[in-house]
This record gives sequence, C-alpha cells and structure tokens, in this order.
Amino acid sequence: MIIGRTKSVCPVCLKVLQAEKVTGTDGYIYMEKTCPEHGSFSSLIWEDRLPGYMRWSISSSVSEPPVDGKKPEKGCPYDCGLCTDHLRKGCCVLLELTNRCNLRCPVCFASAGEAAPHDLSMEEIEKQYDYLMAHGGPFNIQLSGGEPTMRDDLPAIIRLGREKGFSFFQLNTNGIRLAEETEYAETLKNAGLNTVFLQFDGLDDNVYITLRGKPLLDIKRKAIENCASAGLGIVLVPVIARDVNEDKAGKILQFALDNMPAVRGVHFQPVSYFGRCGLDRPDKPVTIPAMLRLIEEQTGGLMKASDFSGGGAENPYCSFHASYMRHSNGSLKLLQKKSGSCCCCTTSDDSREFVANQWDGEGERFLLPDGEMSETSSLDDFLEQARQNTFAVSGMIFQDAFNLDLDRLKRCYICEVGSEHGMVPFCAYNLTDIQGRSLYRNG
Amino acid sequence: MADKNYYSIDPMGRLKCHKCGIPLIKGKAKFMYLDNGFPVELPVCPECGFVYVPEELALGKVLSVEKALEDK
Repeated sequence: MIIGRTKSVCPVCLKVLQAEKVTGTDGYIYMEKTCPEHGSFSSLIWEDRLPGYMRWSISSSVSEPPVDGKKPEKGCPYDCGLCTDHLRKGCCVLLELTNRCNLRCPVCFASAGEAAPHDLSMEEIEKQYDYLMAHGGPFNIQLSGGEPTMRDDLPAIIRLGREKGFSFFQLNTNGIRLAEETEYAETLKNAGLNTVFLQFDGLDDNVYITLRGKPLLDIKRKAIENCASAGLGIVLVPVIARDVNEDKAGKILQFALDNMPAVRGVHFQPVSYFGRCGLDRPDKPVTIPAMLRLIEEQTGGLMKASDFSGGGAENPYCSFHASYMRHSNGSLKLLQKKSGSCCCCTTSDDSREFVANQWDGEGERFLLPDGEMSETSSLDDFLEQARQNTFAVSGMIFQDAFNLDLDRLKRCYICEVGSEHGMVPFCAYNLTDIQGRSLYRNG
Repeated sequence: MADKNYYSIDPMGRLKCHKCGIPLIKGKAKFMYLDNGFPVELPVCPECGFVYVPEELALGKVLSVEKALEDK
C-alpha cells in the first residue's frame, strides 16, 4: 500500500527519481523507486508498522529559509549551498579542518586519510567563519575532519571563532590526543571549546577493531578521564552497525550514566552507507524504531521507546531524542517535551513566551512571619541537581543513496561548509553513489 | 515585569497589592512547571494571594529551571 510520495535518487547514477513510501508484506515501511536505466530499488526506512510511523510525524511546519540563499538551477539535491528551496537556514555547521587522521576506520563518511593531506589554512577558516556569519550565523560549530586534533593550532581556531561571534564549539574526535596528552582537554576548554563528541562504539575492543581498525577502549576511558578533570562535557557517539554492536547500546548507556556528570549524554549514529563504508549494506539497516527497541530492551526498560520523539526543527524522521533527570536512587525521570520547542538553535531565536506565562504561581496562601521577603533555595537546589543529573539520549539517522528522501533533506539543518559550495546539508555533502562517487565532497 | 496593574510601591518602599491596597508580606508559593513543583517564599498579598515575582527572578533562576526541565 502506498502511504506517501517523495523524491529520491538512483543509487547507481544519482539521478533524481520519484519514490513511493509503501507498507511491505511485513508491515514495515519501505521506500521504492525505479531508475529507467538501473532498475528498481527498495529500502527499509521504518522497522515498525504504519501507526507508529504516522505518530512520529509531529513537528513544526515553520520554515526558516536560508539567509541569502542561491537560486536553484538543477534542483535538489544538486544546488546545495544553500538554495532558496531549502527550508532551514542551518543550525549546526561542520567545519572539516583537515583530512588527516590518526585512525583509518573501515567506516568513515569523510573517507579521511585517502587523499593527499590537506589542512584548511587559517585564512580559509576565517573566511568560512565570515561566510557563516553573513549567512545566518552564529551557528553551532562542529570542529570536524579527518581528526581535528591532528592540528596543533586547534585552540587558536576556536579562539578565532569566538572572536568572530560564535559561542558554541563542539569537537568531533576519536579521543586519541585527549587521552595521550593530559593537559590537552584543559587547553581546549580554555580556548572556548564547549563539548566533546567522542566516538565511543562499545565497551569491548572487538567492536573497535571492526569499526575503527584497532583496539581503543583504554584510550576512550583515558580521554573521558582527562575531559572530566578539565570540566569539559562529553557526549558519547556510538556508530551502531548490524551484527557488530547493535547489542551494545544498553551497556554504552549504562557506562554513560555511571560517568555523569562528565558524560552528558549519548548520541547514536546508526552506520551510514556512504563515504568509505567497509560494511555491506544490510537488508534491514538500523532505523529509528529498531534503535529505540534496542535501547528499551537493553536498558531493561529504564529508557522506553515511548520516551523518544523526533526532532522539531529537522525532519522528524531524521532523529530521535529524549532527556532525563537522574534521581539519587538511579531511577530516571523523563523530561517532557515542551510543545513547539525547537532544536539546539540559539535561544535568541526562540519565540519563547514570557516566562511568567509558563509558570503557574500557585499560591498556598498561608503566611509566614515578616522578615526576608523571598526564599528561593528550591530553585537553586534544582539547578545544581539539573547541572549534575540531566542526561540526553539522541540519535540521527543519516541518509544514503538508497533511502535519501528529498523532503527530509530540504529540512536538514546540519551543514558542511566549504569555500566551493557554501553550506551543504550533511546528507547531500556525503552522498555517494554505489561506486563511492560524490556530488560535493572533494570537488 | 513591573506591572502597575497588580502592585504598587508605597512611599516607604514597600510593595502593595494594587487590588487590595495592603502591603505584601512574605508567604509561601509554589512554582509549577511540567509536573514539577518548587516551593518558594515570595512577597504575597495576605488578602487575595497575589504573588509578586521579581523580574530578575523570573528571567534568572526561573527561566534557567524552565529550560532545564524542557526536553531541548
């Protein structure tokens, strides 16, 4: 049964094709499309039945067009940069500072380490910062690569960004340098780094050998220890692959909870079948409902699939997210979604109603003796507790040439920025055909 | 937000309930948000129960708590 229509691309030639979303014989949701030249393709997009799929689609329909977007010529996804047909102005921007890397992961969307070493010059970085500020910035900056810590001038790059007006810097890293140089975390924090997105695929070195090419667990632990000492928050970022570590989500979450407050959350990234991916694309790649079932099963119900919802700013089918407050007895309280709330965009953009409207001054109406007129320590206590005990679990399902949905892509707010194309949505930038040829990367 | 419709400040600098015309006194109140309650003590009207929330409190701690409670 056809439940929706969109556009996608042929995985072989990347030509745009009409695509249908259908319920399969197993009741799950698939994307189907046919290239006149290369045949038909069917890809699982939602490993659950239709009601669950429909329920997930609750999100803001507000669009935020790109600032100074360019006029589309060939149509999505060929005109990224951003074009005026895009529905988001951007929120998080990846700056690939280098293509050098001290690992050679069998799965690398950036295909790092394959081409001749290249670092963005400081002048190029400054140009990108200026470009971003002129196109809707400040955005949250993700310092990425390659491995960005390969650059000794990383602190200077962060400081320059802060001088330009950016206020949130995230480091996407394998953690090797953070582990090996005890003072490095503090150096980065002092430069203005806000958080570390640490690749963390499990608590078992076999997983690292498969996904990263070498055992790394001790390095991960040491990196976390050093970040904790420096007061630098960490988000663990596991790539989840079928038959590799899909059974490890619960242990990763428990490890994260055990390492709060240094570890602030876990951000799952089911493996993407683009760039350099040494794994065969399975018949059933990990979709959002499958990931949520794994989380519920492996945490023994501590976190429930029903706790999670899709993103509000991006297309809801791109991500899942829940936040919790941990109580002293180890139980978790789900923090509720405020209706209409948006993503991680700057709060200055929020059309937040005046706070007094959100709170109900429910007076108990019995009086105390005169004296100090206010006493608000319950708020102080809560804020301290929240600082130490809030925990976020999220994930993003990147698209590849098999399941690319241009309706999703048009709402993407995570962009890669480069001098050639400007701001390019992540899944367009990293899109490759089955031969590994890219629309935007390297050229 | 100093809203003259709800309170006024008398010549002695005391907060007065605009509706009841009497000074506010310290009283118990509770902020409620997303199923969470926070008992506080603030100036209230002993007659009608109006609670005065200083702007710096509303835009400071209260806003911070609100943000912390929201799933962002």
